[in-house]
Amino acid sequence: MNTTVEVLGFAREPGWLPWAVQYFFLIGISTMAFFLSLPGLLWRRAGWEGLSRRALLAALVCGLAAPLALLADLHQPGRFLNFYLHTNFGSWMGWGAYFIPLYVGGLLAYAWSALRANRAGLTPAALVAGSGAVLVLLYTGMETMIVAARPLWHSFLIPVFFAVTAFAGAFGMTALFEALAGRREAPALNRGLRLGQWAVLLLVAAWLLLALSGAAPYREALATIQGGWTAAWIWFIASTALTLWLARGSSLLLPALFALHGAWLARWLVFMGGQSVPKLGATHAAQTLSLTPDSLLGIAGTAGLCLFIYIVLTSLVRWDEPAKV
Amino acid sequence: MNAHPDLSRRAFLGRLPVVTAGLAVPVAAVAETKGPHWAMLVDTRRCIACQACTIGCAVENALPEGDFRTVVATYAVRTPEGRTGLSVLPRLCNHCEEPPCIPVCPVGATFKRADGVVLVDGERCVGCAYCVQACPYDARFINHKTGKADKCTFCSHRIEAGLLPACVETCVGGARVFGDLNDPESEIGKRLKAAEGRTRVLKPEAGTQPRVFYIGLDDQLAGRVAGASATEMMWRPTHAGA
Repeated sequence: MNTTVEVLGFAREPGWLPWAVQYFFLIGISTMAFFLSLPGLLWRRAGWEGLSRRALLAALVCGLAAPLALLADLHQPGRFLNFYLHTNFGSWMGWGAYFIPLYVGGLLAYAWSALRANRAGLTPAALVAGSGAVLVLLYTGMETMIVAARPLWHSFLIPVFFAVTAFAGAFGMTALFEALAGRREAPALNRGLRLGQWAVLLLVAAWLLLALSGAAPYREALATIQGGWTAAWIWFIASTALTLWLARGSSLLLPALFALHGAWLARWLVFMGGQSVPKLGATHAAQTLSLTPDSLLGIAGTAGLCLFIYIVLTSLVRWDEPAKV
Repeated sequence: MNAHPDLSRRAFLGRLPVVTAGLAVPVAAVAETKGPHWAMLVDTRRCIACQACTIGCAVENALPEGDFRTVVATYAVRTPEGRTGLSVLPRLCNHCEEPPCIPVCPVGATFKRADGVVLVDGERCVGCAYCVQACPYDARFINHKTGKADKCTFCSHRIEAGLLPACVETCVGGARVFGDLNDPESEIGKRLKAAEGRTRVLKPEAGTQPRVFYIGLDDQLAGRVAGASATEMMWRPTHAGA
């Protein structure tokens, strides 16, 4: 067999920047946190009121910050108008431009109805937000899954992976807000966290089994995970197991932070790791974090925006007050 | 007479006097003929990896520093017998018959013209880079200056003026042959016929039907290469955002 060295190589930089990771992280958590708010606020299940209100806060914070991260990935935010002026309905991303406002609009109407005890408007608003949430989860998974040029993405497990990690992340974000509100323990949240981590581990195990059995494109995808990305995937699996272990007790903050870390890392590995693999040749795209808007500053900025929205919402609304519906 | 000039370089120069005479052909006769379908044939045996095409393209299309629409990837290949040789893969947009970059574009900015050239409408492009992801050949990129999708256009502005693409014009070895697939008498038509069964395209399994053909392409260079990259060991330019 020949030995080949690429003397003069050529690697494309990632087209989807860390902004995309932030968007998929936040919108996924928001949709799942919305579903977590339903038992207490819509179905009025006893004991769920407080938790569901905190979940609604998580859905709002992430749901309002996510579209801004997506706009930033367009390099010139004003271009978003073209999504509506020239929609290609054959593209999942084209549909996404309609699903995002449907979800965020529905979420705002649902939050308004829930917080204003407007029972008449609550169910229709929940239906709109719920439909939007399902469609957002569907389109974000599908637009990644259909990219046949990237073996790591081209799998029916990708939409499930995004949904499951978002589910775990939503429990993490809600638990974080519970901890910030001074609550020491929330067994229901830790149960959800454990369930989410188990689901993530099972999914990764299923993916590995497919890859090791030689199924396409899983085998090729596994072969493309090299160097530092291998270490990062191992850390992802290890930290998921660690989160599972931490969530077995009653402590809230640490498992919550680890769950959020896992949900974010899952998207970093899929998007930035997937884009580092060359489609032709042997040169991997270098991925370094720098103090630029498209890198660390963007990530920090999105976190800052979330903090700002959290401060505004917790200043205007008393989230500790029991729900009136 | 064919309504569309053969745009391979030698034929083009050789037939310059005929081009003038061709202007006298009645319009009706031209309209009846089938339009051109542009394609490129790359004879890697003639490529010396001088990168004149890379630079010619960058200058012609005023690309920002570090952005390339075409490049010649160069490999040192060592056989089991211990012989080492040079292999090359001139890379550019393949102007596929079934381009995966078109259906994914959320705003329909990418389109394929009747003459086979795949182009991006810069006014419409939102810079979402979905097409960059979908292209199986890493042929697309986000232009650092415009923040929009960019790629080889077969120098459409030049072919509309009856000129050859800049990379063909500058190729010192005559490795790149550009022309009309619909014209069997064109240089590319003749060369493809002569090399029938010996030409290949990149990643045929992707089902994209590229319109950039290769002669003499090393089998193991037709896709992702399982080998070391000297580039990864060297300094690379970085961009501080678009």
